[in-house]
Amino acid sequence: MIIFVKTIMQMERRNFIKTAFLGGIASAVGLKSNDLFGAGKMSVDASNDLVAVMGGEPGQMYQKAIEAMGGITRFVKKGDKIVIKPNIGWDKAPEMAANTNPDLISAIIKDCYLAGASQVTVFDNTCDEWQACYKNSGIEKAVKDAGARMAFAHDQKYFKEVQLPKAVRMKSAKIHEAIIDCDAWINVPVLKNHGGARMTISMKNFMGIVWDRRFMHANDLQQCIADCSTFEKMPVLNIVDAYRIMTQNGPKGKSIEDVQVPKALFMSTDIVAVDAAAVKFFAQFKEMKLEEVSHIGLAESMNIGTSDLSKLKVERIRIG
Amino acid sequence: MYTYLKKARVALSVFFMIAITAAFIFFVNRESPFFSFFLKLQFVPSLLGVFSGGLLVFVILLALTFLFGRVYCSTLCPVGTYQDVVSRIAYYFKTKKKRRFKFSPVNNIRYIVFGIVVLFIIGGITLPLGLLDPYSNWGRVSNEIISRSEQLMHNGVSFLFPDTVFYRSYAHFTLGSFLFALAFLLLVTLMSAFRGRLYCNTICPVGTLLGLLSRLSLYKPAINRDLCTRCQACVMKCKSQCIDLETQTIDESRCVGCLDCMVACKNGGISYLFSYKKVKPTEIETRTSKVSQERRSALIAIGLLGTAMATKAMNLGPVMKTKPKPSGIMPPGAADSDHFKRNCTACHACIAACPNNIIKPATNEYGLDGVLLPVLSFKNHFCSYECNECALVCPNDALMPLLLEEKQVTAVGKVKFFQDRCIVKTDGTDCGACDEHCPTKAITMVPFGNDGLYIPKVNGSLCIGCGACEYICPAIPQKAMVVQGLPKQVKAKKPSLDKQEKIEVDDFGF
Repeated sequence: MIIFVKTIMQMERRNFIKTAFLGGIASAVGLKSNDLFGAGKMSVDASNDLVAVMGGEPGQMYQKAIEAMGGITRFVKKGDKIVIKPNIGWDKAPEMAANTNPDLISAIIKDCYLAGASQVTVFDNTCDEWQACYKNSGIEKAVKDAGARMAFAHDQKYFKEVQLPKAVRMKSAKIHEAIIDCDAWINVPVLKNHGGARMTISMKNFMGIVWDRRFMHANDLQQCIADCSTFEKMPVLNIVDAYRIMTQNGPKGKSIEDVQVPKALFMSTDIVAVDAAAVKFFAQFKEMKLEEVSHIGLAESMNIGTSDLSKLKVERIRIG
Repeated sequence: MYTYLKKARVALSVFFMIAITAAFIFFVNRESPFFSFFLKLQFVPSLLGVFSGGLLVFVILLALTFLFGRVYCSTLCPVGTYQDVVSRIAYYFKTKKKRRFKFSPVNNIRYIVFGIVVLFIIGGITLPLGLLDPYSNWGRVSNEIISRSEQLMHNGVSFLFPDTVFYRSYAHFTLGSFLFALAFLLLVTLMSAFRGRLYCNTICPVGTLLGLLSRLSLYKPAINRDLCTRCQACVMKCKSQCIDLETQTIDESRCVGCLDCMVACKNGGISYLFSYKKVKPTEIETRTSKVSQERRSALIAIGLLGTAMATKAMNLGPVMKTKPKPSGIMPPGAADSDHFKRNCTACHACIAACPNNIIKPATNEYGLDGVLLPVLSFKNHFCSYECNECALVCPNDALMPLLLEEKQVTAVGKVKFFQDRCIVKTDGTDCGACDEHCPTKAITMVPFGNDGLYIPKVNGSLCIGCGACEYICPAIPQKAMVVQGLPKQVKAKKPSLDKQEKIEVDDFGF
């Protein structure tokens, strides 16, 4: 393993984190990671690349996972403006697994504030009518109770044009201003099957930070999903909520019959790795091949991350 | 006593006007159905909704009229109150002389207008009533002008407080509907600024009908000849211009029972008197002069009735009615286009209530007899599966109240899938936006070609025409999913449960 030692203190936080996880992947793969960003070199610390937890309540599983990732302070610094981006796409109750679990969101917000975050903002560009989604998903209440802020995302006005130079199809996109203005953001999708993209997990969750969803559907959906992850301001952490998962009729779902309750959670700084892990987990409930979810493969080929979990330091935790 | 009664009348009328307007204002109507209740107290809604709930209100309104004449016009009607407000404001801009109202002789235009409205209703067409009904007009004014102004102000506030006050995206704007509302508002403003209740006594079909009924009222305002000094104080205050001091009579068919004259008279010379079957002494003298007028009215009435009968007999109604186009998608609860057109007066309460802003005033979607009626458009959003607001708010029963479970299986249209326009076929890439949004899974994705692609497949029996697929379909210039309206709304099949075994896993799978 190649060890780089440099003045970490002088590095920009964002670059530090990028380098941290990319370095982690690269070193695991046996690559030299020095030219990926060129922002600096650092030591790969002992933290895990990916953590999987099973058998607990959402908040409890989050605590176990974040400890195994090296604690929230690794990602959230004192005074930071943090955005948490759940999936709040649908006017459905938490039991329907169409949206991210509100208890999980609540736990993350509280942890961010413990780490000294100055402000925590939560939003999603919803599919169903936004006020109904915010309310009936239970997320608005969870967010307000935890002292964070729900941002509006129902109008183009809240989105700003951003260039995506490394993208293949979607060279620019309108991204929500909260993401652009924050110090760091945490991506918190829920694990569901999806009629169009096959699966919706972390990368697909970016569709809620983008204004024009139709453009993505019209211009090779899978490529556009991968293109989103070329955004230079990637989430510092991806947390996949698999407490309840939707295994059929996704992403909206029809009834409680579409839901399985495996009580799991996955966490990684590598968006490709965490999605790959989630698909493999999902495949235990419903047949799903990793290759079918082609945005994962596309992202890997664009060097966004790796889906080869054997090359990562993975910690598996079982509660109870 | 009349001073207190008048004050109570003014307070009530202002309250009703505010309540009815509030039902059309975004913030209020979104928070509670409280204000929508007041829509049901209006005359035309109670008349049209008579067979399903409005009956009680209708009976009460009729009883009020048979007791005291057109008090509806002075107390419950929002347009009536608006005119009084305008009249009062205009008062301050007028010279002392111009402030005085004068007696105006009966004009018979109102019977002609009323006759035409009735004629159309007998022919099965409600539109002319809708275009003249004061409540429906007030609805359109509230929706197109007051509510839009409120939205502008709201967005101004949201500019100042971007984090706490959300920006309201502008909804459909139908120029014709806006202009119609504006024209009505201007007309009524001008008429009332110069001539008080001129609209009520010249055009308003409700006013005319209640005027006819109030000829039979138990209590009528009457001048006490012993006390009257013909000082003109009452005449100058009468916004209906219906007090004739020459004969010392009050034309009860035009009197709206505003009580102003009773307050104005220093001698207490005008009061409500029990008048059932009593021929007023004044009337005996004036009969002769009234006869010719009444005969004329009677002739007109008979003529119109005859025409109506003939129209009905010749079955001209259906000829005048136009068939709705596929784009004419009626809101849920409309049942069928005949019922819908018969009951809807285009008050736009449903348009104001829709949280998704997908209901707009029709231009030509329903044909000529359906202009301004609410029609669904999936350009800006789609009909929420979990929402039945429009069907609950309609005071006319043009949209029958639907429980959410009923609404979720009520098909307002059916989607048509044009495979040749679909991204999956034209571009050979994944899409599935329609399937993603479909709440009933009338759309499912099935294997397509050999590249592992999936293309939508429609199961029409499950489709409720909510338009989610059409709204989100990214195909341009023409959408691959297009909802076509049904002239008769049908029951869709209830979505299947798709039971699956609950699986428990011990492993992470990697």
